[in-house]
Amino acid sequence: MKLRHRDYILNGPGVVKLTPENPEDMWYAYNLIAVGDRLAASTIRKVQRETSSGTREAERVHTRLEIEVEAVDYDNVANVLRIRGKNVTENEHVKLGAYHTLEIDQQRPFSLSKDIWDSIAIDTLKWACDPAATSEVAAVMIQEGLAYVCLVGQSVTTTKMKIETSIPRKHGPAIAGYEKAINKFLENVLQAVLRHVDFSIVRCLIIAGPGFTKDQFHNYMFSEATKRELRVIIENKSKIVLVHASSGYKHALKEVLSAPSVMNLIMDTKAAKEVKALKEFFDMLSNDPLRAIYGPKEVEIAHDRLAIQTLLLSDELFRNADIPTRRKYVDLTDSVKSSGGDVHIFSSIAWSTFRNSSDSEVSTS
Amino acid sequence: MEMLNQATEKLKGVDIKTETEKGKHRREPCPPLDTYEPEEWMLETFKQESKQLLHLAIVGHVDAGKSTLMGRLLHILGQVSKKEMHKYEREAKQSGKGSFSYAWVLDESSEERARGITMTVAVAQFETPKFHIVVLDSPGHKDFVPNMISGASQADAAVLVIDACTGAFEAGMEGEGQGVGQTKEHTQLVRSFGVEQLVVAVNKMDAVEYSEDRFNAIKTSLRPFLKHCGFKESGIRWIPLSAMENENLVTQPVNGQMLWYRGPTLLQALDSLEPPVRNVAKPFRLPIAEIFKSRTLGQAVVSGKVEGGAVKIGSKVLVMPSGVSATVKGIEQNGKTCTFVRAGDNADVGLQGVDPACLLQGGVLCHPDYPLPAASLLEVKVLLLETSGPLLRGSQVIIHCHHAKEPAKITKLVSLLDQKGQAIPNKKLRCLLANQRAVIEVKPERGICLEEYSRYKALGRISLRDAGKTLAVGIVTRIIEYE
Repeated sequence: MKLRHRDYILNGPGVVKLTPENPEDMWYAYNLIAVGDRLAASTIRKVQRETSSGTREAERVHTRLEIEVEAVDYDNVANVLRIRGKNVTENEHVKLGAYHTLEIDQQRPFSLSKDIWDSIAIDTLKWACDPAATSEVAAVMIQEGLAYVCLVGQSVTTTKMKIETSIPRKHGPAIAGYEKAINKFLENVLQAVLRHVDFSIVRCLIIAGPGFTKDQFHNYMFSEATKRELRVIIENKSKIVLVHASSGYKHALKEVLSAPSVMNLIMDTKAAKEVKALKEFFDMLSNDPLRAIYGPKEVEIAHDRLAIQTLLLSDELFRNADIPTRRKYVDLTDSVKSSGGDVHIFSSIAWSTFRNSSDSEVSTS
Repeated sequence: MEMLNQATEKLKGVDIKTETEKGKHRREPCPPLDTYEPEEWMLETFKQESKQLLHLAIVGHVDAGKSTLMGRLLHILGQVSKKEMHKYEREAKQSGKGSFSYAWVLDESSEERARGITMTVAVAQFETPKFHIVVLDSPGHKDFVPNMISGASQADAAVLVIDACTGAFEAGMEGEGQGVGQTKEHTQLVRSFGVEQLVVAVNKMDAVEYSEDRFNAIKTSLRPFLKHCGFKESGIRWIPLSAMENENLVTQPVNGQMLWYRGPTLLQALDSLEPPVRNVAKPFRLPIAEIFKSRTLGQAVVSGKVEGGAVKIGSKVLVMPSGVSATVKGIEQNGKTCTFVRAGDNADVGLQGVDPACLLQGGVLCHPDYPLPAASLLEVKVLLLETSGPLLRGSQVIIHCHHAKEPAKITKLVSLLDQKGQAIPNKKLRCLLANQRAVIEVKPERGICLEEYSRYKALGRISLRDAGKTLAVGIVTRIIEYE
């Protein structure tokens, strides 16, 4: 995310001008834009005009609008944000108070003005604008008959394609059918990879899964690459890594990303810390259950007693929450930080939460 | 071009199944099973049975010698011709895997042979004086446990193959790093499928010089674990043998070092097993294990074990979860055509009037009047195994039921159960730890066709796995929501 202009005070009003650069930035924008904020961007509005001959014509006009946000919608597939709200500035084409939906897309700048810039919002902004943080890893989770092609970012993991086929038995008379079916399956996965993985931005391509299907795919990919002269794959050979996973389902991504060989490639301090924090929580829960708690009420009680050392939160708590609730969680975060504890905010569509999607808080003490 | 790609993406998200809604059998709640009355022809020939059918699952840690043992047994009993055996021996030697020649009887695919392991369940058949045995040779490698579950769910009895070599047995029990070895995991899974009879075959005795001490040590070590799993002492038989040297498989051991052993041979032990009970009186259910095409049976052939009821050529069946009606065109058992199959038989059924795309592994063929719709929210009673980490609300697992497997989420922890199975009241359940029993609610990503355990045992057993480990085994107590 490119930050072009910044003017705010902590816990006070302010305005920022941002330009999203990659799909991950859409997620950060989604977390930043809250109900009640004012968002300005250039957009297209259908305006009805009466021509001299008396007929009504609809014309599409480019204009710059500022709206007061009422609803935010994040489209994971198309990577756009749609924000609906009432118009608050005077505009020759649009009346004050008229509803409009702004679309925030990549490379389209917008300016966001908030009444209160709390610490969470400032942190999100910092993460969004950190150039080192934009690292993407492509992963193919593959098992016999099922494959997912995913793109993993700092806090966003998108599934680009799911391929599923039924592969017949390997015994008896139908054995010829097996070869054909598995080749067709591998071909489909290869096509998906070629289409969705952009090797110029992706740091590496991980092929993971149980058994030997991943090796089969690896071999198939390279033999086809030489046969069909697929430059993309031949040139990026060094970026392709094979990792073992327990299954080909999406939640096995967590195991893949915590494998040491992959960790080196990613080198994301944020991701590494997240993995460690989650693992610590589960270990403590199983070994010493009284010291690990989850659920909003329990965490509040623990906080009253100043007993929280590590606090794990889902970012969903900050999104779409009404002001007092958000205030409460911001205060909680701030006070845990000030008393020397650690706070980790987990993105609700990151790979780490594929494994455990409880939308409440969690804390260890 | 971009928009075209995006459009195709969105299209792929559309569930094609909704299109076939119109041609589908209407989903009515299934009538109670006791209203079902089996037809005459189903019960009639029951009495004329020449030999009982027994499904035998072969399980054990990787490289224990399961495939070699079975291959050897099949060869001795004449199921493999000399010519074929010679061919396997020659080919195995050529690829440098001379010792695997017997395993190749069952491991037929090039992948399995190249790597020297079993990947999917191989089915073979042979005869003992009392039974016609269907052998389900499972993979031992921990990555293929889902395939092993698929195979072993059909079993009536099991053979647990143990590698007697020093270190190998221990690895099977402890496993490498965290988790248990497959000896333990397979035993627990097999017991959870309702198998009560176990033959423990202590293989590779030749490597430990047929030592009685080693055999007894293994027995003492394994016995408490088997008891803990729920096997009764009377249901276990202990057989020391060597597949490579052909000792104690079919004939009494000849090797001088094994004279201390006076018990039955493997074949005799298998023969002494109790035949299973056949559920002919329940409506027809066949969980689909494999789908393929065949010259004799057509484009849509399913294979699996008939868990209840019976069908004959011309019978109408319902394919679940798609709900499409089909007619039985042909039935084959072990390559031989037959006119009907009953509960307990393992068969390949050719279907007419159905698109092969509707057939899914994990689906079920059922009686048209007693349909089995896909469940989307289940209440299950589970026992967490000792290696399981904590299970919380929201944990992702993979749920296995007969041949079906789906990623699923634990949506609610209902109650904790004490040793007797009574719910402990007032216990606010935050998470489940290893070795606990509890009632929980599970929501699979897509619907699974299964039955409550009380209605239909074979279709009501589930196991929960994740990250390469089996976390819990259990039964379906209630289906809360259908798809």
